[in-house]
Amino acid sequence: MNNKPRRKIPFDELIACASCDWLHFRPIIEPGSRASCARCGHELYTRKPFSIDRTLAAALAGLIFLGLSLSLPFLSLSSGGISSSISVLDAVGALWDSNMRWLGLMSLAMIALLPTLRLALLVWVMLRLRFRLGVKHSMRVAMRWADWMEPWAMAEIFMVGVVVSLVKVSDLATLTVGPAFWSLLGLILTTSLISIFLCKDSVWQLLTTRSA
Amino acid sequence: MATSHDSLGLTAQQAGLARCGHCGALHRLSAESQCRLCGASVRSRKPNSLQRTWAFLIVGLMAYIPANLYPIMLTTSFSGNTSDTILSGVISLAQSGSVFVALVVFVASVVIPVAKFVIIAGLALSLHFRWAMSENKRHVLHTITELIGRWSMIDVFVVAVLAALIQLGAILTIEPGVGINAFALSVVFTMFSATSLDPRLIWDGVDRGE
Repeated sequence: MNNKPRRKIPFDELIACASCDWLHFRPIIEPGSRASCARCGHELYTRKPFSIDRTLAAALAGLIFLGLSLSLPFLSLSSGGISSSISVLDAVGALWDSNMRWLGLMSLAMIALLPTLRLALLVWVMLRLRFRLGVKHSMRVAMRWADWMEPWAMAEIFMVGVVVSLVKVSDLATLTVGPAFWSLLGLILTTSLISIFLCKDSVWQLLTTRSA
Repeated sequence: MATSHDSLGLTAQQAGLARCGHCGALHRLSAESQCRLCGASVRSRKPNSLQRTWAFLIVGLMAYIPANLYPIMLTTSFSGNTSDTILSGVISLAQSGSVFVALVVFVASVVIPVAKFVIIAGLALSLHFRWAMSENKRHVLHTITELIGRWSMIDVFVVAVLAALIQLGAILTIEPGVGINAFALSVVFTMFSATSLDPRLIWDGVDRGE
């Protein structure tokens, strides 16, 4: 880097809009409010109260719900003396067994692997921030991955699919929902809480300034 | 709210800066290709945004045709075998009296995919031919397509759950049909298409003075 800048650019005091690239000085905002782009109105960043604590709590709860959802039976049905009971992973297995292995693997990733990994990464980063255990570079990579995974973690969409399936077979057989059904509902609740509580820009600021 | 007082009156690109798409850190244009904070590759604009958008969109569109023609679900029972396509599944749901659920499936499997094809193609064309359209409207449309696309996966999960649950031997068995493969592909590729479209291109037209 021979071409030294003529003037030092105050990177930390500037922010560009993710949606239209418009450059702003970081406005100082009060906790609980958000700063928006002056040109397109897209959110620049937010300051949410107790963001780390609340996100940590929600992500931990989500991880527990997800563990329960994957290990317990979630639907059982009986018709004409025959009964069957399935877990979430059986739904993935049904695709795998019908020679749709890639679709089975993709569903497994969307319903189980990506949500688990994302929650685990969030818990780890939030724990280290909460208890001031020091910033590691891997925490930034973890936040980047968690960000990337967000649209592909589809546990809540799976749940809507389950409800539709329930309606579809309700006149064919007697259906009973198992404990995993309710823990999946809990997972959806905690996932939406995370998106309410998590203040990404604050986390990135913490990961920048406390760098070792 | 940020007021105009906080704005510098130019884009990061015009100021010779590029924003990391993941953590938002600013970088000198072309000085670094990797974000010093989070390690993601930093580009001022997504490379080949329009080409990628079109490529993914066309694959998504192509997959959507067999998704609707082939059955997504095969039902075997003692009273005979039936197969359901996406549309016939919606119709049979509506006929059994579950109009609301039928509507949910119809929106997820038909309205959202078709709306996405139209909106993404429209946005890409508007950028290509530099149509005079309100930036704010296009911005809203782009945000919507990114948010709603994933909900189309509902039908895939319905088929997976039913195929796992309804295994009652000779009485009633449900198996996934090949159409669901094509449908899942279509959803995934249109999701790629939506994320490939860089919303900053919409506003670059303003900066060129158009």
